Amino acid sequence: MQVEIRLIGIVGSGTMGSGIAQVAVQQGFHVLLYDVRQEALQTSLAGIAARIDRLAEKGKIPKEAAETAKNRIHVTTDLEQMASCQVVIEAVPETLDMKQQLFQRLDDCCPPETILASNTSSLSITQIGSVVERPERVGGMHFFNPVPLMPLVEIVQGIQTSDATVETLSRLAVDMGKHPVKCKDTPGFIVNRVARPYYNEALRILGDGVASVEQIDRIMKQAGKFPMGPFELQDLIGIDVNFSTTQSVFAGFFGDSRFRPHFYQQRLMQAGQLGRKSGRGYYRYEG
Amino acid sequence: MRDKTNVLVIGSGPFTDRLRQEINRIPFLECVDIQAVERRAQIPQIVIETTNVELERKQAHLIEIEPLLDRDALILSTTLAITATETAARLTYPHRLVGFGALGDWEQFDLIEIAPALQTDPVSVKKAAEFFESLGKQTETVADEAGLVFPRILAMIVNEAAFAWMQGVASVEDIDAAMRKGTNYPLGPLEWADQVGVDEIYAIVCGLYRNLCEDRYRPAPILRKMVHAGWLGKKTGRGFYSYS
Repeated sequence: MQVEIRLIGIVGSGTMGSGIAQVAVQQGFHVLLYDVRQEALQTSLAGIAARIDRLAEKGKIPKEAAETAKNRIHVTTDLEQMASCQVVIEAVPETLDMKQQLFQRLDDCCPPETILASNTSSLSITQIGSVVERPERVGGMHFFNPVPLMPLVEIVQGIQTSDATVETLSRLAVDMGKHPVKCKDTPGFIVNRVARPYYNEALRILGDGVASVEQIDRIMKQAGKFPMGPFELQDLIGIDVNFSTTQSVFAGFFGDSRFRPHFYQQRLMQAGQLGRKSGRGYYRYEG
Repeated sequence: MRDKTNVLVIGSGPFTDRLRQEINRIPFLECVDIQAVERRAQIPQIVIETTNVELERKQAHLIEIEPLLDRDALILSTTLAITATETAARLTYPHRLVGFGALGDWEQFDLIEIAPALQTDPVSVKKAAEFFESLGKQTETVADEAGLVFPRILAMIVNEAAFAWMQGVASVEDIDAAMRKGTNYPLGPLEWADQVGVDEIYAIVCGLYRNLCEDRYRPAPILRKMVHAGWLGKKTGRGFYSYS
């Protein structure tokens, strides 16, 4: 039995929460966006409106559609309001404590049939769901940054997540204009796990003196047709962000050597060379 | 007018067949037949050995052919699963062997990696680069290690994707879609393996495991089983996907 989703609750109005909200309203959903601070919500709303307006200016969406989309976002600092949503997507910072407390509060205020989804990229859905009375209605819905541009959503099935919840979240992703893939609740899910060798093996090759940073990037683009080399891509993502994903997957597999981080990546972090955002990473950036 | 350079290509498979075609398209290069070389009717100036899966055969080919060559003939040998240094060690004149590697359809890559063995003379490296450049490919010279750079990284990505599939994390289609749409890979890793050959990928991972002796390079058991079953990808009609 499929519940019709009309109102999507989104908890957390940072980059991911705002992106998810934007995509949802553009696809015709109503969104209730929650944050603890009203100022955060105002910043998020302004950002979403600006991005939608830009799409309309560029002719990517009709002007009227842009106006209606913007009107579909409602904001609140009262979590109890989430009771009126059929699905709530959590997009708060990646700390287990914060997520578990939030899920407990949502469990208390939402009717039992409401599905609670987490946008986590690194925590266990099973562990997040373990603190609520409805673990079968808790699943992962991992969007990729920037949400309006990246078509993928990983739908994560925890040990206790029901097949029906997975189906509902997959269909919701499709209705939000995204491509869902289903995966089991395992460290790194699909993308963050399977992509590890792109960075880690490149670092190993570099560290062992087989080839230089520039050579490896050139080879992966010209022999492999990857759009970006592993080092320029780390500089773009942020070396600290990449390193923490590697550490999280490595820990998740209890130290399996396939995921072992490389000390050189840590050295760059220690030197404050985080990539483009700090002006220097594997490469130097001017200005 | 330049004299024709005779090239002997030893090995089989789609990449090797295509390499022969490309060589014959160049006016000053010509592929010679192995029988003609064995009869001493032709002496190749360049020998290319492309076997990756059966490494004993690779070594046997080169040991058999070497006495039929001039001392300064260039030998190019793929180093996807074995180092150039180890391959060269079995030769009487190891200074003329250069490792190389490429994976995928000919049109798909613009660059071929070459790797000198520890014993290789720099003149041979220069000749190897000139040869591949005459076939329209750029070259990048890297240090000698099994799998070079691109084949090694791709094989490790495929190995991880194979582990994930084997462990029931997600379906073949979803793993490929995730990597194309979630991180902009040109192909999903499993369809990529089908295209380059599951046996080639398995050979690279085994080569890394044998050379570097680390658990990190343990091949996903499903890859080994697929090789035994003949599920090698597009070339056999079945790999991670079925082709009809």
